[in-house]
Amino acid sequence: MPERAPDRLLRMLGMVAYLDRHDDVAVDDLAAQFGVTPEQVLADVDTLWVTGTPGYLPYDLIDFDASAYERGVVTLVEARGMTRPLRLGGREAVALVAALRAMAASLGPALDDERAAVLRSALDKVTAAAGDAAAAVDVQLQVAATPQAGAAIGEALARGRRLHIRYVDAGDRTSEREVDPIRLVTEDDRSYLLAWCRASHGERLFRVDRIVAADVLDAPAEDHPVPEGADVFTPEGGEAVTLHLASQGRWIVETTPAEAVRDLPDGSFEVDLSVVQPAWLRHLLLQAAHTVIDVRPPEVAHDAAAFARRALAAYAPLLPADEGS
Amino acid sequence: MAPAIDPAERLLDLVIALVNTSGRMTKQQVRSSVAGYQDAPSDEAFERMFERDKDTLRDLGVPVLTVTDTRHGDDVGYRIDLAAYALPAVQLTPAELGVLSLAVQVWQDATLRADTTRALTKLRAVGEGPSATDLLAGLAPRVRADGSAFGPLVEAVQERRAVHFTYRAASSGEVRERTVEPWRLLARRGGWVLVGRDRDRGAARSFRLGRIQGGVRPVGAPGAFPPPSDDELAGALAAWTQGPERTAAIAVLPDRAAALRARAVEDAGFDVDAVPGAREVLVGRDLVHVRYRSTWELAEEIVGYGAAVVALGPSGVRDAVLDLLRTASRLDIPAEAPHA
Repeated sequence: MPERAPDRLLRMLGMVAYLDRHDDVAVDDLAAQFGVTPEQVLADVDTLWVTGTPGYLPYDLIDFDASAYERGVVTLVEARGMTRPLRLGGREAVALVAALRAMAASLGPALDDERAAVLRSALDKVTAAAGDAAAAVDVQLQVAATPQAGAAIGEALARGRRLHIRYVDAGDRTSEREVDPIRLVTEDDRSYLLAWCRASHGERLFRVDRIVAADVLDAPAEDHPVPEGADVFTPEGGEAVTLHLASQGRWIVETTPAEAVRDLPDGSFEVDLSVVQPAWLRHLLLQAAHTVIDVRPPEVAHDAAAFARRALAAYAPLLPADEGS
Repeated sequence: MAPAIDPAERLLDLVIALVNTSGRMTKQQVRSSVAGYQDAPSDEAFERMFERDKDTLRDLGVPVLTVTDTRHGDDVGYRIDLAAYALPAVQLTPAELGVLSLAVQVWQDATLRADTTRALTKLRAVGEGPSATDLLAGLAPRVRADGSAFGPLVEAVQERRAVHFTYRAASSGEVRERTVEPWRLLARRGGWVLVGRDRDRGAARSFRLGRIQGGVRPVGAPGAFPPPSDDELAGALAAWTQGPERTAAIAVLPDRAAALRARAVEDAGFDVDAVPGAREVLVGRDLVHVRYRSTWELAEEIVGYGAAVVALGPSGVRDAVLDLLRTASRLDIPAEAPHA
């Protein structure tokens, strides 16, 4: 897809402002500065060279040192008053500030002091540059992670080292594994470690709040090919379950990957789920019990209700005799 | 005929012309003198081209002012307000630019990603060197925007402009039109929330962006409502602000609930004998203390362990757990299905 004109305009304006602050910049360095190819920089400079104020006579134009340019070095000679860097637009400022705040909240546990300081200073500077726009959003996302495990994951990723982790699955079974960490994926208030599991010879997504301990090993992490989309949780081949929920249960579709949602006339709705882990669904039903109208197949509801009755029995000593369960 | 001028080049020429003009430029001056506008084959085509370019520039944050000159009747002219053009003085290190490059990847929504990319392009101009991304290698933070409402709402918050949208209330399932004076957008567990004044109710309300159906439309002029007072805003945000950290006592079966145990803290203040029946529950179980902020979030976490974890206190947590368990224990009795 060809680049959109507004994006190219912003880069060309940015280049003039940058070159006003830096003399004799090599084409390759300018390309790295703006995250584009050297060919694109040449095209941009060629365009800048013919733009200017109406009349477009030589002294009206933005101008570069031609002999330096032949050596692959860009030196701005005439900026036609375009030396100021352009301010952030309202939506741009909010999108960037909100993204940085979300990063600070979600990556927090995985960052050592140095990296946390860089994130904080970037956020402070952008917030100052954004002015009033920064007040439009307020981000409070708390990612549950054991501080020790969070720090170890961050260190292993930064240094390319293997990790030994103790992991608890949705069924509350604890296992010990050695993994080669690939990526820490934080999604809203949830966070996953994508890693190559050496025991199962495949990539796995581990929920960071269930990694109860992690140790950085001396062995380097090996590179493993990871298929596209491996860091997106997609339940496959699971059991098809349909929940009929009262309107108050709408949060479930907002936080759960659903196959389909059908709104019903009375405000209630049905949601189709693909369930790989029965323990996960049982937990969901217990959390949402107040809003559940019907569950198909019915055995799923029976399993959750029986689970709840067993739990209630454990509370018996705490309850007055007449209250029971 | 000379080849048509690239739109980016035309926009650049327009910016340079409007920055350097002495006073202002009329549309006719733009058409006859700014490179690229001579290509327009008709008056209508020129009008469309110029209006679109003007909107594009304003959208990018370029302050294009409309200047009317009384000496020239209704003749409208334009210039760029240089005082408002510039970014406040700021300089970014390569590592800070690296953080911003990662921020671009946070948004899952294409529009917001484009907005963030543009912000980054502008800030690259004040970078001391190319962005260094190795510092944050291996980190992939992501945030959903909960549909298409986010962008228009951000603009409306900034312009203090009322918005109109269709909303499905969670309490009743009722779908209704809302007109809201938007105050602030909050990112919270479970998605984005708009806080503002509901004009029909005449009171502050919160709206989950994920429950907005269809588009968000601005109504009326910008600056049409006063900003909320500190008290109003604090009141509206109270429900979305986390409480102080507290400690709960739970009784856990051996070798179970490792994820809760990993967050265990000491609590010397807990008195087992102050909770009738606790000693009996604790036979064959470990006493574990965990920190929490939200009673219902902790209760929802605890019920997932079933009989493996018993909440001893505070009573608020225990009652919340019992309430969930009692309701769930009737899930397989159809007659007891909850009412919507």
